[in-house]
Amino acid sequence: MTECIIEAKSVHKRFGKHKVLTGVDLCVPRGAVVGLLGTNGSGKSTLIKCLLGLLKPDAGDILTLGEDPWDFTAVAKERLGYGPQEAKLYPWMKSGQIVDYTAAFYPKWDGAWATELMDRWDVETDKRAGTLSVGQLQKLSLVLALGHRPELLVLDEPVASLDPKARREFLRSLVEITDDEQHTVLFSTHITSDLERIATHVAFLRDGVISFFGGLDELKEQVKRLRITAEIDLPATFNVPGAMRIEVNGRTALVAIPQVSDPLVESLRHDWQANVTVEDLNLEEIFLEFHDA
Amino acid sequence: MTSSPLNFEIQPSSGMPIYRQLMEQVRALVASGRLEPGDYLPSVRQMAGELDINMMTVSKAYARLEAEGVVERERGLGMRVTNNVPQESAADRKAELREHVEVMVTRAKQLGLTDDQIQAVVKSVLKEWPS
Repeated sequence: MTECIIEAKSVHKRFGKHKVLTGVDLCVPRGAVVGLLGTNGSGKSTLIKCLLGLLKPDAGDILTLGEDPWDFTAVAKERLGYGPQEAKLYPWMKSGQIVDYTAAFYPKWDGAWATELMDRWDVETDKRAGTLSVGQLQKLSLVLALGHRPELLVLDEPVASLDPKARREFLRSLVEITDDEQHTVLFSTHITSDLERIATHVAFLRDGVISFFGGLDELKEQVKRLRITAEIDLPATFNVPGAMRIEVNGRTALVAIPQVSDPLVESLRHDWQANVTVEDLNLEEIFLEFHDA
Repeated sequence: MTSSPLNFEIQPSSGMPIYRQLMEQVRALVASGRLEPGDYLPSVRQMAGELDINMMTVSKAYARLEAEGVVERERGLGMRVTNNVPQESAADRKAELREHVEVMVTRAKQLGLTDDQIQAVVKSVLKEWPS
């Protein structure tokens, strides 16, 4: 039995007539680093806010850290870290003061760790938040989310406004936090290369539901693109069972399939007297194949 | 691309899972003799830190290599290269490389490159390595 640190069942959320979530099911296992991927406007932030009790779902059940997030106790909040997409911090406070102020809310705040992060990420402590750049503000907000070494860390587009160097530093710190396999991370992003480096699992949010959830390694091992070159022109009706997408062009066809198997490749070779090569796909390509389908 | 003293490097945005990339590279280092029986692999923490990847990914690669008998776990010391993996001959290693080159050449032809252009690219990549 996998222990779900976050468990969502049939979660629905609409804004007026606009249905954003239409039955989200999700289990984030303990120790996982889950990347939540979705196109712009797919509802990633809405889902994250529901999971954290910042929005109330219209229907469905959520258990985050074993509690209903809408009625989180102080105990659950202590175990949780959240980095919102847009950090809204007191503009008149200096960043060091904001850290101290936030620390006061957390009995288990790790001051040395927070100081180290500020230093590592080049966040100036004596600058007022109102004068910080977007990137600096985002880094400060991440320090606030990480400072108490939360058991569950939920980050909404944490690297969106960071430069490549800061992104690398941030990922490094994230890897350090999760190295005991007890800390769980859920983060949304549209930068797949960052996700590929550190994620153990990926979740695709599409049309209001989780269209895929699984291990990143397994996903890369299973989803493949077949390049089929036959002796003769392939018919327009050319089909491969289970294919997500088929592109026929004369004698060649490109076929994206969710689960490659040797018998399938063999039968294609045999049936069409074709040369079949199996191509690996990276996460971005897989994501696109899923979404073009 | 990220390198460590043993020149491990990973491409996160490759279609091959990172743990597999690591396994291939350890096997290649053992096959070439650059890692000899008794040598230790970098610790999981060190490898993950240097390549900026998840420790679980490194653990997964090491556990599979252990299952294959390429390395053995020495308590408190780490993963040691076993002596039951015969060093492959140059011919075997070339045969293994050939598989990769076939894929590369197929792609190069698809890109419409001439033989000279392909060789020029290979040479320029080779130049980046200390001989």
